[in-house]
Amino acid sequence: VTRSAIVIGAGVAGVAAAWSALRRGVKVTLVSRGAGASSLGGGAVDDVPWERLARASKELGAEPVTGELDADVFEFVSALGIWALPPPGGPRPRLASVAGIIRPARGHDRALLNLELLRGTAVILPRADRAGWDADAIAAGLSDDPFARERAIRFVAVDAPILRFVDEARIADADLAARHDEAARLEWLGERLREAVVASEGRGVRVGGVLLGPWLGVEAPRAQDLSVRAGLPVGEALMGVGSPAGHRFASARDRLLGALGVKLVLDRAVSASFTSDRALVSLERGPLEADAVVLALGGLAGGGVVYAPPDSLADADLPPRAGVPFTLSLRADVTLAARAGALGVTSSLHGPELDLSAWPSGDRPGLLEDVGVLCRGSHAAPGLLAAGDVVAGRPRTLLEAVASGVRAGRSI
Amino acid sequence: VTAALQHRSPALPPRRGADVDVDVVVIGGGVNGTGVARDASMRGLKVALFERNDLAFGASGNSSGMIHGGVRYLTYDPQVTEQSCRDSGHIQAIAPHLLFRVPFIFTVERGRRAKIMLPLIDAFFEAYDRYQPYKRGKPHARLTPEEVRRLEPGIQADIVGAMTFDEWGIDGARLCVANALDAIERGAKVWVGCTIERIERREDTGEVMAVRYRDRLTGETGRLRTSTVVNATGAWSPITASLGGLPPGAARVRPGKGIHIVYDRRLTNYAITARTIDGRQIFVAPWENVSVVGTTDDDFYGDLDEVRATSEEVRYLEQGIARVFPAIRSARAISTTAAVRPTLYAFGPSEDALSREHQVVDHAAHGAPGLYSMIGGKLASYRLFAEEMTDILAARFDIGVPGSTHTSPLPGGDAIVNPFELAERMEIDAVAARRVVYRHGSRAKWIEDRVQRRPREAATVCVCEPVIEAEVRYVLQNELARSVADVSRRTRLGVGACGGMRCAARCGQIVAQELGLPPREGIRQALSFLSKRALVRAVALGPEQARQEALAIASVRAELGAPDDAGGAPDPTDGAA
Repeated sequence: VTRSAIVIGAGVAGVAAAWSALRRGVKVTLVSRGAGASSLGGGAVDDVPWERLARASKELGAEPVTGELDADVFEFVSALGIWALPPPGGPRPRLASVAGIIRPARGHDRALLNLELLRGTAVILPRADRAGWDADAIAAGLSDDPFARERAIRFVAVDAPILRFVDEARIADADLAARHDEAARLEWLGERLREAVVASEGRGVRVGGVLLGPWLGVEAPRAQDLSVRAGLPVGEALMGVGSPAGHRFASARDRLLGALGVKLVLDRAVSASFTSDRALVSLERGPLEADAVVLALGGLAGGGVVYAPPDSLADADLPPRAGVPFTLSLRADVTLAARAGALGVTSSLHGPELDLSAWPSGDRPGLLEDVGVLCRGSHAAPGLLAAGDVVAGRPRTLLEAVASGVRAGRSI
Repeated sequence: VTAALQHRSPALPPRRGADVDVDVVVIGGGVNGTGVARDASMRGLKVALFERNDLAFGASGNSSGMIHGGVRYLTYDPQVTEQSCRDSGHIQAIAPHLLFRVPFIFTVERGRRAKIMLPLIDAFFEAYDRYQPYKRGKPHARLTPEEVRRLEPGIQADIVGAMTFDEWGIDGARLCVANALDAIERGAKVWVGCTIERIERREDTGEVMAVRYRDRLTGETGRLRTSTVVNATGAWSPITASLGGLPPGAARVRPGKGIHIVYDRRLTNYAITARTIDGRQIFVAPWENVSVVGTTDDDFYGDLDEVRATSEEVRYLEQGIARVFPAIRSARAISTTAAVRPTLYAFGPSEDALSREHQVVDHAAHGAPGLYSMIGGKLASYRLFAEEMTDILAARFDIGVPGSTHTSPLPGGDAIVNPFELAERMEIDAVAARRVVYRHGSRAKWIEDRVQRRPREAATVCVCEPVIEAEVRYVLQNELARSVADVSRRTRLGVGACGGMRCAARCGQIVAQELGLPPREGIRQALSFLSKRALVRAVALGPEQARQEALAIASVRAELGAPDDAGGAPDPTDGAA
């Protein structure tokens, strides 16, 4: 008998769950109402929040090497095809952020430049008349980073015409990135970069790489094509949110789902429940039934968890309920929790003291990113599994989302 | 109003120039301090001003942002009202670019005495109309409930009618900066981020000799000889006076904490008054590109460098406004502000009944000739208060020049700039140009010059406000800004809905470039700014803002790391000093 599952949410966790369930012969329906946190990501593929790595290496006096990951995680990442994920035991990739920081990651979107491979060389940053790209300031910041100094990597801003049309000073990063999906345009950019490298070498700068803004493709990462054309490693700098890396994930996901033959139902799930061995999901346009449901809705940032303070629903003066002000964005018989455990009724008319706990501080994660569904393994409730940021108290990283998705898919 | 002239110093005027580095040291970079520094410089005195944090760090930069005509004094002291209205007019004349009209709707709720109250309130505002011409205000209008609902459909209270009256809004931080700039241009020296550690006095006569200061950023210390010190430190006044060895009661204030909630847009066209559950009058007002709800008033004895709104205060205000304007509950609160008013000390009255008027204390009465404290005051009468203080200084130094701060324009207030033409010339968005003109008046030209020289400085740094790169660089070079937080105070960078997640790091880069700091210091400042802003937003969290916060945390984590991992020198404005 073929088992069936409904996966709610088509971000990294949901797609990983669908992929993993399909491999076990489960019939999968994927439901999504649109963009979540995965389509806003910056392109860094982390296993643990990187500032924790920084802390650990400060305490240990050495950089922790990349750790073991579930074999299925590697397989999923290679099926998705846009992330570089080095095998365990090696050094971590290093990414340059537009804020001028060099930071470690477990893997990265293939469009991003990995500085780990460079040593005793210069990376050039072409100047461009764009708001978020002050090549001089970024180069100064990166050159000042301890990693760059240790590896003797210099960052040098250079003049090179990398914008082709006048409007490119103003358009969004993703729009500029989309123009590089076109082969002819990429060829043009490659030539300009080659010229810039030659010019720099002419001034005695030994160039080992080119760092650009987040502009290298929307359909797919174009950095490798461009590197071949320019004759040396070219890649993007990392951006916090809103980078085209999110679009590239969405494109890769659509390709993967197409190849797997999974249909994406674009609808909002209103409720999910499990009765007498059947899982029931009500969508706005009608009900769906299956043997299991995977909740992969995302956390607060992705919209899966909703914060509704008691007073926003208040009647005349008093809040209407004594519960915690967090809810799942659909009705389901699950318990909400944070790292400290299940969120219960607080002895306050106004819920938890968010002013003290909302943002992370030191080693304590902020409640806003920590809150989610209480799970035992992948199970949130009978017949209901959970994956990704919607799971309480787990690190909000891409590889954690993939790993929990893969596990949930296996548990169906 | 002032009691100061009673204690005219019996001694000869202090010698100027001999044995001293400056004539007057002003402590405090709020509106009173910068106002005195400007006035005294205009009258030819050599002035040094010291500010511990930043210009407009306290009450001046975190008030309701309005210069009220003193309508509350109308019944028992109409002279104060007249004075306030006249001075409001003066401020409009010297800084026309900084003022914007805020028409109020004063609602009268149905109740037992509403029928009697309505004509009384009408008559009251008719009396206020007499002073409106002084400040270019329109006379009041009496509105029926239907008219009120037509003007502001969001008003859902059971009202019998309403009155309109006119007030003026102002950006308090810009007012302080303008006064400080003018003082500097007239020869004063202004030290920002520099705290006074001691006011030295002669052992025999008790006269002021010098001040000792320490730069909180660089740690540099120094001594400046002077015969006269003006303590204009608002709620910090008792602390400042104690640095001169005065007893705690010598410069006493009643510190009243007030908070505001900031919403992401202009929710109404008119400011609307409402009452809190304990009967206090509060308001929701459109202010620049946001709406502001205020104000609370509670005694406060905590750390003045770390005053923050609490979620209880936010709820108290929201509850009051919601009775008249229920949509406030679903509006998007993006931030809070908090500050401590330096109210005159008096025992007994409740916070609201305390006068907001001001007084100069001559500490000769406490055996410290040459030391003065400015106690009380409010934004609307800052110029008058500064003039009264400077009159005392003029008498002390025996200079006969009268004050003229009401006739000579503040920097940027001398000419009107058309924002649309500016937008075309600079090739920037008209909204961005309008904001530049609002903040800088005729000096928008200086920012335009920067863009003409380096066109890439037209790039937007903060999209919410919006703020362009040229303005950020301009305030760093010309307006004493030393950090991301200082830039934010001067330009409103990073105070929008996104909480600075899109602009703080970029601003940090520019700060480091302009001030010649290591790039990591810029990043550290950005992180410090972001984590402090998060604290003032979290107390007013609603559904949309909670999601934005989660996104901001993710963004900061992806790009910058955690605040305490940024390394670098400790932030002197983190309360370490």
